[in-house]
Amino acid sequence: MSETEAAPRALAAGFGRLIVLVYVVFAVSAGVRAVFQVVTKFDAAPVSFTLSAIAALIYLVAAIAIIRGAGALALLAVGVEMAGVLAVGALSFAVRQWFPEPSVWSHFGSGYGYVPLVLPAVGLVYLFKRRRA
Amino acid sequence: MIEWLYLAVQAAALAMSAWFFVDTARSKLVGRRHFAGVAVLELLLLAQLAVSIAIVPGEAGGGKALFFSYLVTTILVPVAACFWGSIDRSRWGIGTVAASGVIVAALLLRIHQIWELQINV
Repeated sequence: MSETEAAPRALAAGFGRLIVLVYVVFAVSAGVRAVFQVVTKFDAAPVSFTLSAIAALIYLVAAIAIIRGAGALALLAVGVEMAGVLAVGALSFAVRQWFPEPSVWSHFGSGYGYVPLVLPAVGLVYLFKRRRA
Repeated sequence: MIEWLYLAVQAAALAMSAWFFVDTARSKLVGRRHFAGVAVLELLLLAQLAVSIAIVPGEAGGGKALFFSYLVTTILVPVAACFWGSIDRSRWGIGTVAASGVIVAALLLRIHQIWELQINV
């Protein structure tokens, strides 16, 4: 927690607080849904459900990193998230047979109102701004 | 789900969110009147839960566990946002609670979808 003490303002204060709320909601909802899908019907769409579970994990890591003021880890998690949503979003259009059921990041997160695409962009801008400040 | 109650909760969530975002722009701290606003939304959500407990188990579809897990999550989100937001000394304290209203609206949309496609079939 030394980074938090050294910084004049915690990473999770101000606008970071709103970001953390959204990340936690996404970690919980995507996570519970992925666990439910993996347990009940994993064979229906193994790629989608595995990717959803990974997405949930990344949301959780990002939320915890921001809460604890770990700026580098937060940047890494949100960066992976951005790359993930772009890669999976493109793949879901290119290789349709891998995605008989959608994952969180399919079609750039269209099933979640494109929030999965907007969230890492907002997160990266916030984290880079705070890093320079 | 009773349609008018669903629409009333939806309207309340969006109205609360709009009001709180105005206070975000005005840099207001989370205060007593905000807690009152969240309490009104929570009462409506609890009414939705009570009505759902009364009518959902009698329906035919198989999405009941999914329905109730979404509804309980929805009820918890504004409460969690109040705790998490009220400790902030910037405008984004109330901004966080305002965002929870949008999250509630989105989750309610999903709950209504589950009701129409997987329960009331």
